[in-house]
Amino acid sequence: MAEQEYIAEMRHITKRFPGVVANNDISLSIRKGEIFALLGENGAGKSTLMSILFGLYEPDEGELIIRGKPVRISSPSHAAKLSIGMVHQHFRLVENFTVTENIVLGLEPTRRLLGLLPYVDLKTANREIAELSRRYGLEVEPTAVIEEIGVSMRQRVEILKMLYRGAEILIFDEPTAMLAPQEIEYLLKILLSLREGGKTIILISHKLAEIKQVADRCAILNRGKLVGLFDVADTSTQQMASVMVGRELAPEEPPPPMEFGAEVLRVDKLNVLNIDKFPVVKDVSFGVRAGEIFAIAGVDGNGQVEVADAIAGLAKLHSGTITLAGTDITGASIRERTELGLAFVPEDRQSTGLVLDFALDRNLALRRYYKLPINVRGVLNNRAISDDAVGLIEQYDIRAGRGGATQVRSMSGGNQQKAIVAREIETGAGLMIFVQPTRGLDIGATRAIHRHILDQRALGKAILLISLELDEVMALADTVGVMYGGEMTRIAPLSDLSYDEIGAYMMGVGNSAEVTE
Amino acid sequence: MKKRPHIFTRLLGDSKLQPFVIPVFSVVCSLAAASIVLLIIGRNPLIAFRSILQGAGLLPRGSYSAGKGMLTDLLNTLSALTPMIFAALGVTVAFKAGLFNIGVSGQMLFAGYIASVTIGYSDLPAYAARPLVLLIGFACGALIGALIGLLKHRFNINEVVSSIMINYILQYVIGFFILTRHIDPVSRQSVAVSAAARLVPQSVHYGTLKGDLPLCILLAIIVAFILRFVINRTRYGFDLLAVGANPKAARYAGIRVGSTVVTSMTLSGALAGLAGVTHYLGYYNSIQPKSLTSVGFDSIAVSLLGNGNPVGVLFSSLLVTVIDKGSTYMSSMVKVEREIAAVITGLILLFSACGAYFKYLAERNQLAATGEPANSEKKDDGEGDA
Repeated sequence: MAEQEYIAEMRHITKRFPGVVANNDISLSIRKGEIFALLGENGAGKSTLMSILFGLYEPDEGELIIRGKPVRISSPSHAAKLSIGMVHQHFRLVENFTVTENIVLGLEPTRRLLGLLPYVDLKTANREIAELSRRYGLEVEPTAVIEEIGVSMRQRVEILKMLYRGAEILIFDEPTAMLAPQEIEYLLKILLSLREGGKTIILISHKLAEIKQVADRCAILNRGKLVGLFDVADTSTQQMASVMVGRELAPEEPPPPMEFGAEVLRVDKLNVLNIDKFPVVKDVSFGVRAGEIFAIAGVDGNGQVEVADAIAGLAKLHSGTITLAGTDITGASIRERTELGLAFVPEDRQSTGLVLDFALDRNLALRRYYKLPINVRGVLNNRAISDDAVGLIEQYDIRAGRGGATQVRSMSGGNQQKAIVAREIETGAGLMIFVQPTRGLDIGATRAIHRHILDQRALGKAILLISLELDEVMALADTVGVMYGGEMTRIAPLSDLSYDEIGAYMMGVGNSAEVTE
Repeated sequence: MKKRPHIFTRLLGDSKLQPFVIPVFSVVCSLAAASIVLLIIGRNPLIAFRSILQGAGLLPRGSYSAGKGMLTDLLNTLSALTPMIFAALGVTVAFKAGLFNIGVSGQMLFAGYIASVTIGYSDLPAYAARPLVLLIGFACGALIGALIGLLKHRFNINEVVSSIMINYILQYVIGFFILTRHIDPVSRQSVAVSAAARLVPQSVHYGTLKGDLPLCILLAIIVAFILRFVINRTRYGFDLLAVGANPKAARYAGIRVGSTVVTSMTLSGALAGLAGVTHYLGYYNSIQPKSLTSVGFDSIAVSLLGNGNPVGVLFSSLLVTVIDKGSTYMSSMVKVEREIAAVITGLILLFSACGAYFKYLAERNQLAATGEPANSEKKDDGEGDA
């Protein structure tokens, strides 16, 4: 029967939220045993559509057909009964439980001691989970405690959780957003081995390269509508990208050559200890010149973020000196650094870069509310705050429903990041530090941020870029410093380095004798 | 989540009206709950509510004894209202900075005691004594607040723990001094302070009536407006709000988080100190040893009901004080025990704390409506449906 071919079908699904049609008459059929990618910019309706399949929302119109039978999925637990599982972007794990305890939570295998006292049989569970993990190549240690394992393994625990519950349809929501390059490779391999094991996978993503690498078919959503359905093998990423953003997308141009000016930032023998007094940055030295983009590449957790935090004054340094435009700022306060011309786009935009409960205009003023013309003898000029905001919203194309009065919490990630970038650029600082500036952003927003970075370079700003995305480093950097294990193992102009070479240094297999500093 | 009627959103979701609608909604809920309690014990809730207003001097009673009238009751309510406003403002400042000052009662006691022994038991004339009482109250409260703030800043001691412990220390140390040095053997309270030092002159003639003169109520109202200005319109207020909403981002922006914590706790304590002197040297004129006043604790709920807005606090203080003052009269009029009246006060305070929940519900519905599905979905975990 033809029906059997499709494990899940969505027919004419429409979901409205007051004021917006999140899904507009979308029909999709997903074959058993395929990797089906769902592509679209932020707010295109991908997550809404998957939430309908996962039972978080009920559609206003249309029907769901699972294994040939029409169903109404009323809740995630109902979805689980239909063998539908979802790996969310933000993991739901109990930090101080072991892997096994997390996985069996709610479905604990119980036995009775002496036929009376019930207890959770963790031994059997451990064995079962080790077996499951082995079968799909997940390499998860069942007795490890969650708080002691990294992001990548936590994600694999989430995958195991679904498998343990017998999920056949696995939905992944932006699974690679928080992973380093090798971890991404590893995850993609896992997806392929899950497909081999007969599972059906739905992959929500906006990373075209990954989709190209693993997906069989790909549906593209734009503003709530299905705008394209492709066999991935026959389609180029360029084609997918233009359908996704709804227009032709030129490939990013390489930055034009620049004449570098004087050294703006000098970091000398920087050492930083973490909270347990363990060295996380070891004797790092480098300089950034005016008009130069110095990119620090490295796998997450190799000390790059600590270097940036130390320069910005957010992390205490153990030893070493930091000089900004000829002034020693090693012991300077954060505000003194701001005044000397240091702008900083932090890694975590929601917890560090913004006060989510403040309105947009106040967030845009966060770097200068204490100065004239906003602060007049201790009293804030609200007019100046909102006028500034109007200008920046316009100039940087920040989309906010209620203008400067919009609560930042309600804005999309891309627009939040644009707001931070706008604010930091407007400080007019000579040194700009960008830490993971495009993490989790869609193509449109990523391009906008890249353009701003290059504009700042053209204006002769010194730019320190820290990125886990090697592609981003390759696209923007003039000079690359690779960090591994807290040390800067290689510093060279981008033109002297190949993709593979940087990758080798990122994994600690390069020759550290070549450091030119 | 899925098919919630959007009447709730329409009712509470308008973010412009929200600061007014949500507290009113909380009060309506609590009155409904109180009515149910009254109906269960067979009393007419309408008569009960009317007698609360009568007892608090907002409606005329059936009859008054000589020299008393509606005005007498009203003035008495106002003099009880003054410390409540100051205390709730103190709690509000701390809330804004992300701190929970649960030690208002202890700070009130300390301020009241020091002001009593220094000025209350002196022969200073009223024009010197009263300003000094206020000044000393302010300074003593600030001192305790600063201590709590410093303990948090320097030693990372949670302010809730330290203020509860400081409450105990003050309660018993001051109790000891009162019992050994200042006890009035008849009343078992501390010796009454001089009339000149008392912030609420008694038995003032108003035509044929006699009543209190609550001098500091105006001050309390002015302070509320000043505080609103400081929080919303000044650089210090910006620092305070940023630290309260996200200390990490505040630090990133160059705000000195530690010193903001200390100064906001100091300000909170100073306001509690003003509450202390207007309570112990105003509404009362003596201190009951070894006990803390409930004003300091009720003020937490009052601050929540006031939605963290200093001017809103004026209204919520009035509401809670009216119920508190009127409940004595209500219990005699509709023959309910005073305990039932306390239950009703408790219900109102309980629902006021739900304001944040109502706001959360309204905002959750609102989020779905703003056309930012990417954001609203992050918050949907579906656990509630499972």
